[in-house]
Amino acid sequence: MLEVVTTGAQSEPQFAALVDALTADRDRHEQLTDLLREDHSLYDQCGTATIVRMRGWVLLALGRAGVSDASLLFVLEELDAGTDPYLVAAAAHALRSYPRPNPALAPFVMRALTQIRYRDDPVSFEDYGEYAVASAGTSPVRELLTTLAWLGPHARGVLSEVESLRAQRGGLSRKLLIDVDRTLEAIRGADQVDEFDTETCCTLPSGLRNTISWAFSSRRDCEPIESTVFEDHTGELITFKEFFRGQPSIVVFFYTRCDNPLKCSLTVTKLARIQKLLEAQGLADQIHTAAITYDPAFDLPERIRGYGQNRGVRMNAGNRMLRATDGVNALRRHFRLGVNFIESLVNRHRIEAYVLDAEGRIAASFERIHWDEQQVVDRTIEVLKEKSDETMSEVSPEPADPTARRKTASLMFATLASLGVAFFPKCPICWAGYLSLFGIAGLNQIPFSPWLQPLLIAVMLINLGSVWLRGRLTGRMSGFYLVSAGAFAIVVLKMGLGWEDAAAWGVALTLAGSLVSALGAGNRPAAMRALSVPFALFARLVNSSRGDSPNDVE
Amino acid sequence: MTKKRKAAKTSTSARKPKRAAMRSTRAAMSVATSARGTVKERVAALAEVPLAVCESDKDLQAMLKVLRNKDEPVEVRLAALQSLAAAAFSVIAFESCRSDYIATLREVAEDPNPEIRQRVLGLLAREKDGFAQKKLLEGLKNPEKALVPPEKALQLLSYDVHAEAYSLARDIVSKPPNADAKREALRLLAADATSAPLFEKLLRDKDESAEIRQISASALHALKPEKLQEHAREMLLDKSEYEDIQATSLTALTQFGDDAAIADDKALLKSVDRLSVGKASSKYKQSARRFLSKYGQ
Amino acid sequence: MKVELQINNSVSPNARFVSWAPSPCRIRMTNTAGAVLTPVNVTITGVSVASGGAVVFRKGATGAFSSSLTLAVPTNGTSVPFFVAGRFGRPSVNNGDVTIEARANLVLPISPGALVGAVKVMVRVRKNANTLTPGERDRFVAAFAQLNNQGAGRFADFRNMHTNVSSPQAHGAAGFLPWHRAYLLDLERELQAIDPSVSLPYWRFDQPAPNIFTLDYLGSSNAMGTVQFGQTNPLQFWTTDGVQGINRRPLFNTAVAPPGLLNEAQTLALGGPGNLYAAFRAMEGNPHGSAHVSFGGSISSIGTAAKDPLFFLLHCNVDRLWAKWQRLNSRFDAALAASYDSNPGNPIGHKLIDTMWPWNGITGPPRPPTAPGGALASSPCVSAPGPQPRVRSSLDYQGSVNALSREGFDYDDVRFA
Repeated sequence: MLEVVTTGAQSEPQFAALVDALTADRDRHEQLTDLLREDHSLYDQCGTATIVRMRGWVLLALGRAGVSDASLLFVLEELDAGTDPYLVAAAAHALRSYPRPNPALAPFVMRALTQIRYRDDPVSFEDYGEYAVASAGTSPVRELLTTLAWLGPHARGVLSEVESLRAQRGGLSRKLLIDVDRTLEAIRGADQVDEFDTETCCTLPSGLRNTISWAFSSRRDCEPIESTVFEDHTGELITFKEFFRGQPSIVVFFYTRCDNPLKCSLTVTKLARIQKLLEAQGLADQIHTAAITYDPAFDLPERIRGYGQNRGVRMNAGNRMLRATDGVNALRRHFRLGVNFIESLVNRHRIEAYVLDAEGRIAASFERIHWDEQQVVDRTIEVLKEKSDETMSEVSPEPADPTARRKTASLMFATLASLGVAFFPKCPICWAGYLSLFGIAGLNQIPFSPWLQPLLIAVMLINLGSVWLRGRLTGRMSGFYLVSAGAFAIVVLKMGLGWEDAAAWGVALTLAGSLVSALGAGNRPAAMRALSVPFALFARLVNSSRGDSPNDVE
Repeated sequence: MTKKRKAAKTSTSARKPKRAAMRSTRAAMSVATSARGTVKERVAALAEVPLAVCESDKDLQAMLKVLRNKDEPVEVRLAALQSLAAAAFSVIAFESCRSDYIATLREVAEDPNPEIRQRVLGLLAREKDGFAQKKLLEGLKNPEKALVPPEKALQLLSYDVHAEAYSLARDIVSKPPNADAKREALRLLAADATSAPLFEKLLRDKDESAEIRQISASALHALKPEKLQEHAREMLLDKSEYEDIQATSLTALTQFGDDAAIADDKALLKSVDRLSVGKASSKYKQSARRFLSKYGQ
Repeated sequence: MKVELQINNSVSPNARFVSWAPSPCRIRMTNTAGAVLTPVNVTITGVSVASGGAVVFRKGATGAFSSSLTLAVPTNGTSVPFFVAGRFGRPSVNNGDVTIEARANLVLPISPGALVGAVKVMVRVRKNANTLTPGERDRFVAAFAQLNNQGAGRFADFRNMHTNVSSPQAHGAAGFLPWHRAYLLDLERELQAIDPSVSLPYWRFDQPAPNIFTLDYLGSSNAMGTVQFGQTNPLQFWTTDGVQGINRRPLFNTAVAPPGLLNEAQTLALGGPGNLYAAFRAMEGNPHGSAHVSFGGSISSIGTAAKDPLFFLLHCNVDRLWAKWQRLNSRFDAALAASYDSNPGNPIGHKLIDTMWPWNGITGPPRPPTAPGGALASSPCVSAPGPQPRVRSSLDYQGSVNALSREGFDYDDVRFA
């Protein structure tokens, strides 16, 4: 994106003039969006109230220029987590210039309405930085209601919420009842139903896709910050490398003096929920979590510890609240943090959470819009699996070029397909080998294994059938009896009754039965050959998916 | 009626205070907003029914008019402001009033009356209102435009750590227009992590006033608690140190210190022992004795 | 022979706190040496130190209290229940300043009147802040300062529970009084976890309270409203929202009461002829709101009010006035329409059956985005109101309707019955 060449030393009138010039020039509208990045140099050393004036003016300019898919995210961000009346009002105003009203926008507008209604301060859109000294003009609630009316039938999903606002004792401001009625009428309006675009119903606007980026190809090496030293909530020092390398991590950013409860306080509260989700899935020991402060000079260990404790965060060796002892600049560059400062204090920041891979590289980022805890956990699990895959195939980091990536993917698919054919079990011994090696006996110790259970039971039954057939053909049923006893031990004693020792017996009996059956058929060399290759493959797979300490997994 | 209810009723009537005579909301509002009443009557009426404005737009507008009207007696305008501010606590009921209230506060923030300006800017500053912050900062940069004295502006800006006031506060500390302004600038800087060395210096400067040193101790407790503990110990060991700052030091150690380390600190205990029987005021001696009893002597 | 006295049905020394509402207790023989086989008559009495608390007893959940009680205690270790309460008008000053003694009665071979068991208890009630002893004052102030620490302590949760964002949960509708009752109780229990002898004092804003606004207590304001503290007062280190100190500018002479506030009698009369809660709750405006704005400074705006420790003393008095009104008019029973304003249009969090934020942990609109502090603090003395109180839990705070609803606090001037 083109960078507007400006410095933080610009005065507010100069900034306003710049915004107006960009608005007037159709070819430079994209640069308006760029001005909404928190880390833009223009915001360096500005106070929070100044930034509110500046960003508000950009939002209003977007309203004039027309909100694009690229800038929609910034508008929705303000509705999602904004607490400043001017910015919320400006965002609501700007949204109406988006060319594709969509049902997915309505919940954002409604949420903003609920969040701002008791701070419905008068605002003025006439001139840069102007504060309303009369209530005759507009206000955030008025703008939000107008935007809901603009959405019309697209806002049907929130109709009942607007109706209950109208019905509530006290309700919204008496002055706004006419606006509420007008909004209700517009939402219910039958004449617009025909235009209702069912295709866009319930899909997120394309601008929102930027909130989650999934860095397949462009993972930045963390080498530049590997030696960054953090002090944790107990005062213990630890480097980036020590904490973040070796396993995937979930990282959020916060600072204790953030006065927007929809941002840092909620982010850290959600980190605590993530920890619980990881714990419930038995992954707490395989994934690290960290909350890193933007304000390390003020956020001393006791303060971040208190902040975490008050929000239910579990803190231990793998889960830490951190402050960078050398300041936040190196981190800021590495993560490209959406934050800016006045002296050492944050003046504005976005919501941001990251999933790091086992090399400490950013594998996924969640930005601006409130992220879903389960979604972050799911992504991290994918990274965790990927770590297993990498360990198995010892692949090198992927090439950066997307075309190259596609080529690599198709090559990998071809390889896997041929391997699959090669390793497809072709005899009872292979089945037994797979069964024992995959460790059906220890299935419940493998993370996310429940889906494997029916599969492996099916495989075991096929093996049983195969041995029975072979027994019938050769007239020697001893192998079948052994395999049956093994299956009984695994399914009934181990899985059903929970008798741990039965697993080993089951595997031994299955293996022995399969061997007897196969050897009895005079196929010894082939059987032995078939057993050796999958053994090596699955041994690796099982070990890597269990992580370093399989005994810790519940 | 059950026996229990009857008993309750009897005891209620026996103990109930005589119902105080109270006029209706309408009557009170009528006195409050009419120029015919005396100042005293109107002030009393305005105080009586703060929530009236939540129920009626007419009452709200009448009340705001009194506040805005420069021809009204200042006492009456201040009483109207106080009544509105009291109603603002009932957030849900006040929802219909909020935007008119804030707009009016901004309007009268530049009122000729300094007391009105000060109170209104205070109410807005506590809402972290950008308008008020801008006016206060402008006044600090350009005293001719100041709506309140610099010390008041600093105090009001301290409600928001994100107000861009640190560099102005540092200027005032180095060149204070008066002692109050220096004190308020320091209180504001007590939230600025980079000012910790300044507070260490002021804390140990025996030429500084007791109040400035006390603020410095408090600021250090927030910014660098372990530094305060170190200095507090040293100041208690320093026989030439003033007793007031020693008392502050003792309080810091007693309330927030590392109990085990203090209990083992023979030199410190000896020094406090001396303070407990010396020439210090009885309050300080008592504080020293409390310290000694906590740490096992 | 020895007996064990269980106060609040607990052997824990932490449970040895009583108030005007009777505490269920038990006595049982733990060592029968020298005792005969038939139950031994044991007399329990309260022995007070000078100016200490005093207690009274009764056998069952109802009936008159007396200064001593004789119980037949079986020798097989079976417990015998009884109730103990503070003698109205005789609260404790210090922890354990009243001893409940158990003496065996004329049963040979034990000598008559021999002491067979004793526990020190405290009659702990909320008192007028203006008349606390220096010791009570210092303990309260120290516990409060420690709860705050350098702004990083547990107090931060209480500060975050009362902000502009959370205010609709608790203001301007029927739940105002119940929510604040739970809020104060939560805070008081946290203070008691630091020093169990502390209870929250109240600021009677309709009376002169000059002692509160002093350097050794809640601080003395200078002309600008910057609060100054004595060098021995730990509140000199007070920090909230990362900002040091307290701003509080009294707009009245603190040697007298602030003008314009309804006095106690006027407030208690707000319920009108029917003594209805729906009318009584107008006290949220005057005197509650009026008391807040009798100052400039943080206490005079809702979003910043909880930054000032005085806030909690002010609200303690608001709660006391409600308690007094409830006692005068028997308005403890949630089933009684006059006890609450059950308008169907009440917003969420303000209906009797609603759970209250933040203790319920529910977040997201219409509740605030986070729920600071988690569940309501528990007490070693009582089980109510539980970790997630409902609006209705706050009404029967003394256990007048249901003994199990007793929340373990009382006001020095509001009787149990």
